[in-house]
Amino acid sequence: MSDKPAESSRLERSISRRELLKKTGQVGAAAAITGSLAGPATGALRRRSAASPKKVPTGGTVNWAIEVDPGNIAPFGQTAIYPYLATEVMYESLLTWDPKLNIVPALATGYTVVSPTRIDWDLRKGVKWQDGSPFTSADVVYSFQQQLNPPLPGTSAVLGQVPGIAGVTALGPNKVRMDLKAPDARVYGYIAWNRYSSIVPNNLYQNVNPQVTGIGTGPFKIQGQFTSNVGVSYVKNPNYWRPGLPYLDGINYKIITDEQARIAALEAGTLDGANISPSNALAINGRPGLNVFHNLTAAFRELQMTIKQGDNKPWADVRVRQAVNLAINRQNIIDKIYSGYGKFTGHVAAGYGQWTLSDDELHSTYEKMDLPTAKKLMQQAGQSGGFSVNMTTFATPLEFTQIAALMQADLAQIGITLNIVPQDPVTFAANNSAGNFDWDLTQRGMRGDVDGFVAEFNPIGPTGPSVYAKWFTGWPSSPGGNPKPIWRGVGNGRITLDTKKRLPLYQSVNKDLMQQLVEIPLISVSTFQVVNSKLKNMYVTFTGFNSGLKTAYFES
Amino acid sequence: MYRFAAERFAALIGTLFAVSVIIFLFVRLLPGNILDLFFAGDTTASPEQLAQAKAELGINGSYPDQYWRWISGVFHGDLGKSLLSQQPVSNIMATALPIDIELVFLGIMIALVIGIPLGVISATHRDRPADYASRVTGLVGITIPNFWLATLLLIFVSRVIHWVPPLTYVPFFKHPILNLEEFILPAISIAAFTLAIVMRMVRATMLEVLGQDYVRTARAKGVPRRRVVERHALRNALIPVVTVVGFEIGGLIGGAALAEIIFGLPGVGYQLVHSIFERDYPVVQTSTLIIAGTFVIVSFVVDLTYGFLDPRIKVGG
Repeated sequence: MSDKPAESSRLERSISRRELLKKTGQVGAAAAITGSLAGPATGALRRRSAASPKKVPTGGTVNWAIEVDPGNIAPFGQTAIYPYLATEVMYESLLTWDPKLNIVPALATGYTVVSPTRIDWDLRKGVKWQDGSPFTSADVVYSFQQQLNPPLPGTSAVLGQVPGIAGVTALGPNKVRMDLKAPDARVYGYIAWNRYSSIVPNNLYQNVNPQVTGIGTGPFKIQGQFTSNVGVSYVKNPNYWRPGLPYLDGINYKIITDEQARIAALEAGTLDGANISPSNALAINGRPGLNVFHNLTAAFRELQMTIKQGDNKPWADVRVRQAVNLAINRQNIIDKIYSGYGKFTGHVAAGYGQWTLSDDELHSTYEKMDLPTAKKLMQQAGQSGGFSVNMTTFATPLEFTQIAALMQADLAQIGITLNIVPQDPVTFAANNSAGNFDWDLTQRGMRGDVDGFVAEFNPIGPTGPSVYAKWFTGWPSSPGGNPKPIWRGVGNGRITLDTKKRLPLYQSVNKDLMQQLVEIPLISVSTFQVVNSKLKNMYVTFTGFNSGLKTAYFES
Repeated sequence: MYRFAAERFAALIGTLFAVSVIIFLFVRLLPGNILDLFFAGDTTASPEQLAQAKAELGINGSYPDQYWRWISGVFHGDLGKSLLSQQPVSNIMATALPIDIELVFLGIMIALVIGIPLGVISATHRDRPADYASRVTGLVGITIPNFWLATLLLIFVSRVIHWVPPLTYVPFFKHPILNLEEFILPAISIAAFTLAIVMRMVRATMLEVLGQDYVRTARAKGVPRRRVVERHALRNALIPVVTVVGFEIGGLIGGAALAEIIFGLPGVGYQLVHSIFERDYPVVQTSTLIIAGTFVIVSFVVDLTYGFLDPRIKVGG
């Protein structure tokens, strides 16, 4: 893709994140590597199934579990991922990610950056909606209008994830113009992510009830309608624009909230796949008829702190935060709680392309456990006597309090008494968003663009004041506080469309953040899926989606 | 009798009103609301966005204002909309209530069909192996949590007989066989406690009745033992069971929540548990009203029927 104005970019070939972002070997999804358990393994855990044979068998219907009821399947304004999981095989966007998070064409075949705030998109011709009507620019215009102003049951709460799109207009039946409020490099990742950027038929919300049904361009079309707490079924879309796909005849999504029930169904053969917690997945591994897949997830674990003006808390001193970072034994957390399935991470989730710090840098420099240096830093900061701090975290799942317990033991060695305060998710969220906490242990989530991982470190967020105003007001004036290079990096990275210039900005931000440590990233963990061994071409995605179902097949 | 019924009905209304106020306040006193789920974590919101979202969801305004909007809607048959899914609460409850009715009915039936004979056997074979076995069964039923039993049953059937019931709700009139397959295990899991209670109650009252003079007289006159037990003793012994079962019905609707979650049955208890965690106020309020209302109504009916079952008791004094 070219970032120069008035140049056309043809997207018929894959645009790798390598071209947009510089090539990396550290992508998260779908590496064709078979991993094996340490110890007395009875079966090997895998990253993905064996590669597709030349002639792929077709047919069969998959029964797949969704672990939380979506409530409804409206395409716009959904804060939770589950409505998207129930519709990802139906709705598409202008771009998409391939299994390795490379941006590839979807409903758009190309685009032209006319100016830093204007992009013209060429739409794919010959695509039909699942009701047989043709896909045109009017559909794209309508879809972006809904994205920018989500109708009920959606909420405007999602607009923090939407880049600064001013509007989209039709230039012809197969061409649209997108105007941005300001140069915004986040737009491509936002669209490819498809979490908030689905393209739907013009006037969808007036023509059908999108809460229970839908019309898309994807490989599967809805059969019947969605029923809350039950699920939704799809059948193959015979007019899908990608030739040869899909291989399956249908997908039944079943809402099964209890993990033991999902496991029972997998073992009885009435379910073909589900997300399972690491400990249960490892226990299931090796059972006949089931495969266990795993992959890194974007939901890395993080220790967050508030540094408020006038509070003068011990951790306002950067040396104390650096001491905390050096005292935490991350490998111990990975080994004891995640059975070795995890990686060190920076502020950008490990596995998120070239934007992350390398594993070597994290292990050898930024996250190397070093108790003597940690004690020395505490002493220099005048905290050799230690201090006590409350750390809130999620009461469930239990892994968070388990991580907290290990951190408690680590930090005791440098004189910090960690009081663990488990909370239910809504209480935690209320305190977190209001900045009513000293420390909290939480998990992050997937982002369409790297900016999403670092936006909170700049007082000006993508759509207005960021959470910085509630968390970090004391940072600039704190001992050793130096936020300005980070502010500049984040702000400039957001508006730099040239990826060659963008990457070093974020690399510098990453390193500065690992010095300032106003948030301390801990580890990236893996998601586990248990899958019927006859279902091939499945893989666990970095995004948390079940994208593999679009190209999966049953072996004959 | 009529005065008694009128007084109890008035008390029912008063109780439901008090429950509605209490649950309305309590759920709002919990830290956070659904907007914290929507906005917190990875998204931020401006004050304007928050205010707009609150207005969209109807959780703006003072508490009396919000309460009046809700309760006046209830009187008009509008139970509001789920804050999370925007589905009408009446639709949610229209699916949930039949599930609970069926589940509780099956659970009570299992408890009675097994518990009463066990209690009779235990009483008529006092201090013999059958009695001990029944009493141990009763003890186990009382002590095992229903959610643990539910999980155990599910694991057992999937591992041993390689079968699981449908784990998503199938209405009875859509597919009776699948429906019964789905309900049998959760019904057993919630029946265990009530079964034990019924068994122990029947045993205790049977022992008392079997020691009465009229029973000894009947035996002395040559009436067969079995006839004495069935015709004379058991009838009188069942009267307290009616009371126990009546009270159990109200408790089972709420107590079945965990079994509902494990087996994927979106009943009232299931909806209540999830909506508390999500701060989905309309669903919490309506679910609680239904459970409280059921409890009060069933107690009322039990009180009325008690007078018919035992002529010695005059309802209303």
